[in-house]
Amino acid sequence: MHGRVKLKSTAQQEEEKRKEREKKLKVYVATRDACFNKRKDGAMDDEALQLTQQLLSANPDFATLWNYRREILMYLETVKEEDEVQKQYDAELVFLEACLRVNPKSYGCWYHRGWVCGRQPRPNWVRELALCDECLALDDRNFHCWDYRRMVVKASGVPVEQELQFTDRLIGSNFSNYSSWHYRSTLLPLLHPQSPDPPANCPHPPNSSPPNSPHTHSHRVCEEQLLKEYELVQNAFFTDPNDQSAWFYYRWLLGRAEREEMISCVYMSREGERVVVAFSRPVNAQTVGLMLVLDGQLQRVEWRSAPPSVRHTPVWICELPPGTISDINNEHNLTVHWTEKHTQRECALYSSRPESWCRDSATDQELFRSELSVEKTSVLQSELTSCNQLMELEPENKWCLLTIVLLMRALDPLGYERQTLVHFEKLKEVDSMRTSYYSDLCSKFMIENTILKMEYAEVRVFSISEKNLTTLCHLDQLLLVTHMNLSSNQLSRIPPQFSMLQCLEVLEVKDNLIESLEGLSNLPKLEELCLNNNQISKISQLKPLASCSKLTRLDLRDNPITKMDNLQTELTDLLPSVTDLML
Amino acid sequence: MGTQVKDVVIKADAPNALLLDKHADYIAAYGSKKDDYEYTLSEYLRMSGIYWGLTVMDLMSQLHRMNRAEITEFIKSCQHECGGFSASIGHDPHLLYTLSAVQILSLYDDVSAIDVEKVVGYVKGLQQEDGSFAGDKWGEIDTRFSFCAVATLALLGKLDAVNVEKAVEFVLSCMNFDGGFGCRPGSESHAGQIYCCTGFLSITGRLHQVNADLLGWWLCERQLPSGGLNGRPEKLPDVCYSWWVLASLKIIGRIHWIDKAKLSSFILACQDEETGGFADRPGDMVDPFHTLFGVAGLSLLGDDEVKAVNPVFCMPEQVIQRIGLNPELLS
Repeated sequence: MHGRVKLKSTAQQEEEKRKEREKKLKVYVATRDACFNKRKDGAMDDEALQLTQQLLSANPDFATLWNYRREILMYLETVKEEDEVQKQYDAELVFLEACLRVNPKSYGCWYHRGWVCGRQPRPNWVRELALCDECLALDDRNFHCWDYRRMVVKASGVPVEQELQFTDRLIGSNFSNYSSWHYRSTLLPLLHPQSPDPPANCPHPPNSSPPNSPHTHSHRVCEEQLLKEYELVQNAFFTDPNDQSAWFYYRWLLGRAEREEMISCVYMSREGERVVVAFSRPVNAQTVGLMLVLDGQLQRVEWRSAPPSVRHTPVWICELPPGTISDINNEHNLTVHWTEKHTQRECALYSSRPESWCRDSATDQELFRSELSVEKTSVLQSELTSCNQLMELEPENKWCLLTIVLLMRALDPLGYERQTLVHFEKLKEVDSMRTSYYSDLCSKFMIENTILKMEYAEVRVFSISEKNLTTLCHLDQLLLVTHMNLSSNQLSRIPPQFSMLQCLEVLEVKDNLIESLEGLSNLPKLEELCLNNNQISKISQLKPLASCSKLTRLDLRDNPITKMDNLQTELTDLLPSVTDLML
Repeated sequence: MGTQVKDVVIKADAPNALLLDKHADYIAAYGSKKDDYEYTLSEYLRMSGIYWGLTVMDLMSQLHRMNRAEITEFIKSCQHECGGFSASIGHDPHLLYTLSAVQILSLYDDVSAIDVEKVVGYVKGLQQEDGSFAGDKWGEIDTRFSFCAVATLALLGKLDAVNVEKAVEFVLSCMNFDGGFGCRPGSESHAGQIYCCTGFLSITGRLHQVNADLLGWWLCERQLPSGGLNGRPEKLPDVCYSWWVLASLKIIGRIHWIDKAKLSSFILACQDEETGGFADRPGDMVDPFHTLFGVAGLSLLGDDEVKAVNPVFCMPEQVIQRIGLNPELLS
């Protein structure tokens, strides 16, 4: 089905081909029918093996025939001596090898071979490993063979160190070897694991094991080995800057483990008697044993998600029973228990304060940059220098450009902001097919920088204008923000995740391309919204605002909708609380 | 030294308009070639072949041209005692063809033609202790089969028949350093497997476990200068990846990271103006498999000459809605 070139031929050639195929077809059909008939009759004999062999040699994807062979082989196990069985399976392996030479990518062949080794009295794993070596020498990207190799390694206890050396050899002879780099990514954490840090407020080890993905601590590599690995990869992409495998692998090395699962912020508001809890990752609060204890008493509450009606989200909201915390003269102590993870967060609400919170700062958590030791800083700094040198030789190399950006972010996101923006513009130039990707990635980095600046300034104002923002993210970090300015960007929507901004009072998003306000529903503190110069064209696009009961000021000037008849009346109907309307 | 980028060159005279009528004629005639060598050799996947043909015809609003009665009878005669379906008569049952059978009957809204309880039992019986699914009683494990299992059950409204939590755990254990997924834990990322795993996570409501930014980057890097998509780094582009990669991107909310115009040109260039149908790349032989994925890819790109396709099930969106399914997609 793949890679069959359409060749033009004369009428005579066509006729000859047709006759030949007709002949082949007849033989094939006869053999196939003979096989099926024998199987129906329960035949487990040599002839059945012969016939299936004939067909499978031409068509190894004919899975049912492998099944039939397995039935026959299993039957023969019951009537032959162990030595004969061993020989029978050896013969099967010879047949399989012939099949694999012709069709090295047949699922059926590889599976059957593994099955045979599993049944054989004395499997020869050394020979199997050698077969893999041979096969990979011909095609080092054959994932069937790599998977088979992993099975052989596991079954015969080949040491991880040995396999690591195997990848060293392959990568040494041919850098462009994604499969080898991938294999390394699975071997290194086994040999040189990063020691996991227990979560900040977790006195006991978590009950359930962390999700088994390469982005958790258990799949990261200890620093000493990491620094050696940087060198190996550098060699690869300096030798051949167009070898994408090395650049992909390098990006993984520069990355970091996902955040531990924990409660990252608790917020309380007397108005609305609301409690908002933000987690470091999306969770399903309904199922994780989330409990509220106020002044020593367990509270009965119903959790709802932000955005509404989703099962997994980082932000959850509930209301305390009326009168619980409404009296501003009273002091309260709240503890949020995440019983499944044996962790909790406390928040004190003092008298004469209308609200309170407790959260981890993004700076403390080093959320947006690498965990940096002195050694690592110095290594990354010199890598950045080298990559900059490479860039002078290869100014159009997008891998190099992107890696420089990633290195700068790892070292000093704020310090390198200006250069980062310049590099993104260059990336969009040299790799224009992925312009959208670079715009979104740049947006993400600018948002991260704004969060850092906001934290340093210790304010609850988030402002990011004229940065060509095309997307919004990290909204779960903006739970406490009261004033937000997103003016003069390229945003086309306020996404559903925006409903996490439970403290938002003022939103300025003029001079964008907004045509969807999905995320602006149920924002309990939103009073002022400026949508000047956007793409709002229909009343239906404003519907989410009806659930923002405190919204009083709305600026809709320079939107297509202002051309609509009866707009004023329709808006008064939809948004009765809005008294200050600008059209 | 320097690696040449593996890619194809699209000729100036390559097709650049969608030849729907030719494709419909090609598919309609395909089934009648029962004495064709290639056709006979592919009997081992016939059920899937029928699903590919019918789905692309439905997307082109030409389903009525196929022989519904004959196909329904064929499907019935392929259900085995164990409940599973084989690719064709005389062949052995397998999850791959069980899914295809259920998909076809869903297109025709005729699921009651078969023993549903038995199918559910068959699928359930293939789940292993670690949550994975074997393809059949012989035990091959692959995340493709995890997808087949949950997609089959979802179409039948019986997803709760298996241990979803464990199934999810297994699929997540196949996630790699690059955010992608392979066949089994430790297997290299591959667009086909990524489609199966993101589709699986969509059906089971666990898409938040995907690193969408990282995986989205890996996926958009499948686009080559010709505009076509490959299945993993340093491979040639192939029209079927217009489906595996594009549908995955749609599921994780990053489809805008692909240059749509260039991809569209590539897909159109894979058409054969003479015979109708799509080939894997321009100038090669056509087949129903690539025809479906070429058309489905164009549908995902927004072509309004064909029906909207559901990125998780690769079936017309209206069929999925009629069944009452709403698999989650990241925004």
